[in-house]
Amino acid sequence: MEIINGVEAKSFGLYLKKEKVAVISDLHIGFEEALNKQGILVPRFQFEDLTNELKKFLKDFETKIVVVNGDLKHEFGTISETEWRQTLQIIDLLMGYCEKIVLIKGNHDTIIGPIANKRNVEVKDYFVAGEFFICHGDKILKNKEFDKAKNVIIGHEHPAVSFREGGRSETYKCFLKGKFKNKNLIVLPSMNFVTEGTNILREQPLSPFLKNIDDFEVYAISEDEILDFGKIKNLKTLS
Amino acid sequence: MIRLKEEPNSEQEIRRVLHPLVSQWFFSKFKEFSLPQLFGVLEIHSRNNILVSAPTGSTKTLTAFLSILNELIDASKKGILQDKIYCVYISPLKALNNDILKNLIEPLGEMEKINGEELGIRVAVRTGDTSTYEKSKMLHRPPHILITTPESLAIALSSIKFKEHLTNVDWCIIDEIHALAENKRGVHLSLSMERLQRLSQGMCRVGLSATIAPLMEVANFLVGEGRTCKIVDVQFLKKLDLKVISPVPDLIEISYEELNKKMYTILDELIQQHKTTLIFTNTRSGTERVVHHLKTKFPKKYTLIEEGPPTKVSSLIGAHHGSLSKELRLQVENALKNGELKACVSSTSLELGIDIGYIDLVVLLGSPKSVARAMQRQGRSGHKLYDTTKGRIIVLDRDALVECSVLLKDAVEKKIDRIHIPTNCLDVLAQQIFGIAIENSTSIEEIWNLAKKSYCFKNLKRKDFDEIIDYLAGEYTKLEDRYIYAKIWHKEGMIGRKSKMGRLIYMSNIGTIPDETGVKVKVGEQTIGTIDEGFLEKLRRGDIFVLGGDVYEFKFARGMVAQVGAAAGKTPTVPSWWSEMLPLSFDLAMDIQRFRKLMAEKFGHNKTEKEILEFINQYLYVDDLAAKAVYNYFKEQYKMIGIPSENNLIIEQYTDEKGKKFAIFHTLFGRRVNDVLSRALAFAISRSQHKDVEIRVTDNGFYVSAEKKLQVLQAFKLIKPQELEQILQLAIRDSEILRRRFRHCAGRAMMILRSYKGKKKGVGRQQVSSMLLLNAVRRISEDFPILKEAKREVLEDAMDIVNAKKVLEMITENKIAIKEVETLIPSPFAFNIVLEGYTDIMKIDDKQEFLRKMHTLVLAKIGIKG
Repeated sequence: MEIINGVEAKSFGLYLKKEKVAVISDLHIGFEEALNKQGILVPRFQFEDLTNELKKFLKDFETKIVVVNGDLKHEFGTISETEWRQTLQIIDLLMGYCEKIVLIKGNHDTIIGPIANKRNVEVKDYFVAGEFFICHGDKILKNKEFDKAKNVIIGHEHPAVSFREGGRSETYKCFLKGKFKNKNLIVLPSMNFVTEGTNILREQPLSPFLKNIDDFEVYAISEDEILDFGKIKNLKTLS
Repeated sequence: MIRLKEEPNSEQEIRRVLHPLVSQWFFSKFKEFSLPQLFGVLEIHSRNNILVSAPTGSTKTLTAFLSILNELIDASKKGILQDKIYCVYISPLKALNNDILKNLIEPLGEMEKINGEELGIRVAVRTGDTSTYEKSKMLHRPPHILITTPESLAIALSSIKFKEHLTNVDWCIIDEIHALAENKRGVHLSLSMERLQRLSQGMCRVGLSATIAPLMEVANFLVGEGRTCKIVDVQFLKKLDLKVISPVPDLIEISYEELNKKMYTILDELIQQHKTTLIFTNTRSGTERVVHHLKTKFPKKYTLIEEGPPTKVSSLIGAHHGSLSKELRLQVENALKNGELKACVSSTSLELGIDIGYIDLVVLLGSPKSVARAMQRQGRSGHKLYDTTKGRIIVLDRDALVECSVLLKDAVEKKIDRIHIPTNCLDVLAQQIFGIAIENSTSIEEIWNLAKKSYCFKNLKRKDFDEIIDYLAGEYTKLEDRYIYAKIWHKEGMIGRKSKMGRLIYMSNIGTIPDETGVKVKVGEQTIGTIDEGFLEKLRRGDIFVLGGDVYEFKFARGMVAQVGAAAGKTPTVPSWWSEMLPLSFDLAMDIQRFRKLMAEKFGHNKTEKEILEFINQYLYVDDLAAKAVYNYFKEQYKMIGIPSENNLIIEQYTDEKGKKFAIFHTLFGRRVNDVLSRALAFAISRSQHKDVEIRVTDNGFYVSAEKKLQVLQAFKLIKPQELEQILQLAIRDSEILRRRFRHCAGRAMMILRSYKGKKKGVGRQQVSSMLLLNAVRRISEDFPILKEAKREVLEDAMDIVNAKKVLEMITENKIAIKEVETLIPSPFAFNIVLEGYTDIMKIDDKQEFLRKMHTLVLAKIGIKG
């Protein structure tokens, strides 16, 4: 689905057509390990799911650059050997679909450096592709490139939307589209399948980019389609 | 093997075995042996397994301990008293443990006084409250009598050093066994008993129980498979003086306020006529409400003001329930013991035998839902042996009047309804096997044989057992991940402890009682009270309910906080007490249906009003006023659509003013059965007619409702008894109750560690984790052992699939005829089914289909362009 001109939303990522840039966000590799370390013995499916989803997302595009828009790794204490290996495997997998990988620093990425060095990928605070300014979204960056950009893409928020009917309630991850000052703003869903995400109809957003999201539009993701649900304020009155 | 002891022993026989010192002490305190003592003391002396069922205050405890004290004193006098635990005493309550300690120390002191010197007999309590210092003291000098709880026993069994003291136990007493047998604590205890018996082969088991049935099964539960047991049944030792009271002659033509006012007037009168009254309300919120109302309506009677200086104000009425702090409860217990209270209101917490002094009247507000529970509660009055038990049940609607009248009949005629003992609980099994592995490397065959000896696991399937071993060994995950998930190692038919952490994890997560904290209810930022998690599960946006006397509308919930808005003046749409509501026992339900059948026959044979009133009068042991009320109720029903009964199931269809269609099933089988029947039916309708249906369940029946007309009977007939379980497995798949029970099971099986590395997880955290866990486990298999157990718990323990299946069989065999009728308004028997109960929705579509549907809905409502 074309979410704004030149930007294709597919699976849990975005593809910038003209720039040939694919953007994904908030993979949180190692999330299950973190749960295990807290005494929650969740069996592990994350790596397998992530691998499949990435392949599904990237296979139809001709991609030059893959931007991981923050929180590649879910950091929680020390990194285990498994987590280290899996992170490198994901990077290698991405490498198979593009020429270059850019890792945007997220709030969970305090020790991403060593991994990046190992595979020669770039680590940045933000990335600019044509008219797009891509940053994690945990803080607002002020610079000339940001001022010039027409469109901003962020992650960090893990948006999801919950629908309730009668006794039943289901949650779906979603994209959000709205405005930040005079720019178009797109919020990516998290590509982490262990958690459901934050229900934006109910909870207060975390990102400073999302002060008032009532006029934002919701694009909910189901198994093989993305559905436009219109503005949040309308959904709030319905639920 | 298990048999009733018909004849008591003689006083001489018992005197012959008693040490002179004990004998002298006993007869200095009592005139003669009580009936339970005449039956029990010699059996325990001879180390025979025995179950004593007798009402509270009938000297049960001394029956159990007399032989044991006798033995210890004899050994002490002969100088052969060993440094070992002779007796392990287990009760479900810490408070009870402290009472017992006191009740043993006192006689021992008195006997020492008679003896003139110390006897050196040690008694000690070991529970979660026991300090490390005291525990280490016990380790060096074990008590001769150890008083403990099921959980602390399991810990003791897995502690390397203390275990040594448990290798030569002579007696194990399980007190209040009726409160343990029907839940997973009992299942857990049954395995601990086998573990204890493995260490102390010659140990005999003594069970003490209040009124309960069936005694054969409870005895079997006490001793396990293949062991003998004698049963002493002196349940009806006390004389009964029981009555059902209706506050007004006509329970239907009266407003709620008026009825309430009358109820309090009667309650006050009863309290004033007696010395101390104990009131049971069924729910915690009800407890607070009754205390509050009595105090405000009769301020002078329930508050004592002593003129100063200084002026002293003390309350003459107390509340006692599980949500109150330990200190507050203790305060009330002591005030009761000292005779300082005129009345005490309790939910269920005072059912067990904690010492509360002299009570001369027990009042039950609302139906206790089972004969056994009624007897246990009423048994709290007339605490002395041959006192009369005086109980009054106050009913507030006509269904309760009929229900309690039949209950009373059963009590008088000594018909006790049977309890349900959970079996094959895989989560409990997992926890105990983990405990055994921590104890020592053990062969799997030995554990299998041990488990099969427990009554609760006698029918355990080998496949399920093996799967639990695999689960504990982490074999459900990939080989390279296994080290994270494995709690035990598993090799060549042996299992054992995996790491040092294992013991710590086991000790800090032991037990079967799930963490359930109240959900905070807030208006904005202001907290106004708490509700049950189970209550929250059923609440839907817009539901109106009462909390602490005020009316609120439910908005939404976030984690463990429910946001509500004030809704003064609105009529509640959900009764606020049903989440704690006790389900009607199946046996009692069937007895009510039998009464309905007899009544239907009387009307059918055109008996006169006088004849029918006479019949009610003698059949139900009720007064004229109550008989008349019952008569009117049944007559109205008979005239309108006929009386549903044990062989006559009526399905009543009507359409409400908004056009919504209802099909009411008059299935008086209790909520646990109706839950199964209604869900199966809703599932059948949603599958065969592709419609969403709403269900509502009560003890007396259920309804399904939908926007369009449903082919109810057709769908009902699709449910074959032999397919019921399969249908239910699908029907509960996405239900809230399964999610919640899965969280509990995952906690018991230690898949979610409630306490880990010194940190405790709140219920909210456990909830989130258990959802993630459930999703992941489902990808391994719908039959993953812990998920399988959660489903079993829902179907067999929370619901009653066994009896539901029997009902369906009776229908297919035409023992129950079905009649369909159309009505313009619900019939009298249907009133409460429509008004009360809890609702659930059975949905047809999968998650993706649901999203598309919501999309279409949104498009239609606000019209956005594609």
